[in-house]
Amino acid sequence: MALNVLIVDDSGVMRAMIKKTMLMSGLPLGEVYQAGNGKDGLEILNQNWIDLVVVDINMPVMNGEEMLSQMRENPGTKDIPVVVISTEGSQTRIERLIKKGASFIQKPFSPELIRDIVKEITGIGGDDEPPVK
Amino acid sequence: MNHRLNDVLFNVAEETLEKLAFMFVSREYDREDIDYDSIVAASISFSGPFSGNLVLTISTNCVPELSANMLGVEEDETTPDQQDDALKETLNVICGNILPAIAGKKAVFNITAPFIVNGMEDIKKAVEKVDGKGPASVVRMEMDGEQCDIFLYIDGEIPEDFFND
Ligand SMILES: [Mg+2]
Repeated sequence: MALNVLIVDDSGVMRAMIKKTMLMSGLPLGEVYQAGNGKDGLEILNQNWIDLVVVDINMPVMNGEEMLSQMRENPGTKDIPVVVISTEGSQTRIERLIKKGASFIQKPFSPELIRDIVKEITGIGGDDEPPVK
Repeated sequence: MNHRLNDVLFNVAEETLEKLAFMFVSREYDREDIDYDSIVAASISFSGPFSGNLVLTISTNCVPELSANMLGVEEDETTPDQQDDALKETLNVICGNILPAIAGKKAVFNITAPFIVNGMEDIKKAVEKVDGKGPASVVRMEMDGEQCDIFLYIDGEIPEDFFND
């Protein structure tokens, strides 16, 4: 089974880094959708089958915390696994996100941490070796 | 200026540049100001237990490499937009990591979107802040023979705790 992933971050460079890291980790990716803020992310969620959401916190228009809250209130999206990847260093805010059922990874991240957390929450394996190109 | 704060700022900047962009820096203690003619700058503001802003200045020559390393492509494959984006995101990550290092992990800060400061005069203004007091911390670094300086400005006082523990 391939994972359809939605990556939400206001930095296009960061979205590309996260996508590249997930590909290199050997995670079986299907479609990779991208959005620059929470509002656009929710729209993509409503129109597509998504297995995993990776979301930043600090973004214009709608931040990641608000997006996560809205996802959890909607029966169609409330059970989708969410990984927050952010510069956020406040334990108070991180605990709030974890209470809403998200996993948390702080930037700058290591590729191994992303791989391990995604494997853990989706139950889908990734190879330790990068895929042969 | 507080030496302990400088050390913390350097450690966070060094780790971020290395982990995020595979750029290796060394610290320079007694170099002159960065050459304002050939740099780009990004600035980010924060508010919380204390507020202020962080300014990253870097030799223009380093920026294609910074963005290329982050994206995993060749330097000539990066666009000016991606180069600005890479610089802003690097500053964003440094800022997100420096604040809990100063104020502790319980403190909650709001960080605004980083922006690029263009032109020598505006960069000088952002860095020198002629209206206020000087920076709480400055770290000067060298990477691949080029320069990178970071300035931390804090409005009001740095939390007492920072000096105690
Ligand atoms: Mg962001």
